[in-house]
Amino acid sequence: MNRIPDTNLPRLAIVLPAYNEANNLGPVLARLRAATSAEAIVVDDHSDDETAAVARAAGATVLSMPFRFGAWTATQTGLRYAYRHGYDLVVTMDADGQHDPAQIDTIIAPILDGQAEVVIGACVARASRLRRFAWRYLRLLSGLEIADLTSGFRAYSRRATAVAASWAATSFDYQDLGLLLLMRRKRLRVIERDVTMAPRLDGKSRVFSSWFAVAHYMAFSSILGASKRGRYAERVER
Amino acid sequence: MLLRAILAGLGIGIGLGMLYLVRRDRLHGSYAIWWVFVSLAVVAFGTWPGLIDWLGIRLGVAYPPILLVVVALLLMLVKMLTGDLDRTRQMRKLRYLAQRMAILEHEVRGERR
Repeated sequence: MNRIPDTNLPRLAIVLPAYNEANNLGPVLARLRAATSAEAIVVDDHSDDETAAVARAAGATVLSMPFRFGAWTATQTGLRYAYRHGYDLVVTMDADGQHDPAQIDTIIAPILDGQAEVVIGACVARASRLRRFAWRYLRLLSGLEIADLTSGFRAYSRRATAVAASWAATSFDYQDLGLLLLMRRKRLRVIERDVTMAPRLDGKSRVFSSWFAVAHYMAFSSILGASKRGRYAERVER
Repeated sequence: MLLRAILAGLGIGIGLGMLYLVRRDRLHGSYAIWWVFVSLAVVAFGTWPGLIDWLGIRLGVAYPPILLVVVALLLMLVKMLTGDLDRTRQMRKLRYLAQRMAILEHEVRGERR
């Protein structure tokens, strides 16, 4: 594993939204520490368990939401914090162990090289047939040419962080379609880099916890995709 | 005659109810304006049902009573839409405030590494 250099890079923050992830967070933060000395910002989305305490014990910066608002609002809190504190680069990743901290350098490299403002760590192989169908449908509807629309493993440049932390992005419920369309409208270049993803360390997905949650996601994303399909289409290259 | 009295009473009741809710700070002034307007309309059309015939004929509506139904439905749709717009604005502000609070709380505690 290549440890990400500490001094010669712009300042990097890692944002991890977490809801009831006390069991997963310890090992995830330990792996993160081994990969980078970047500031780990855990946004506790009003968990019922010891998520915040586990994160603090592991040396992470902990932001505690006063109510549960969902993954995107928690993520945006971390992005706002990072922007406010002058970070040049922000990586968002799940707190459930699906994303490998050793691959952070894979997704920040294109930003450091000036190739893109947003890099999505894509892993199409993890998707079920149903999810791939949903992605294809949403790509068709929105005009976005991104293979992995729902990956939460992303890197943002400072410019992109400003857009993601903006008032315009506050009403989104998910870190995917709406935000990517906003990036396109702001003419920020979004690219993907292939990464591997592991199954969750423990428990089940918080975002797609039921079929009702999936239906809500599809309905919400369909309306967003259709209404925000803009004229600023820009090709996304892999 | 009884129906007129009931409708007029209903309108007056709604109007007084709105004033009571404003007085108790349960309803913000600008929302109360809408509901007082509704109660005035109930009083007017309940007390003088001929008003709707008079208005319908002037607007060329073949069956005037339906005018009241259509206008009421349209106004309800407008009210529901503006209500949802307002809830969306409030939700955005609430999220923003909660985010600010989480960040400021952390900074006040001085926990930053």
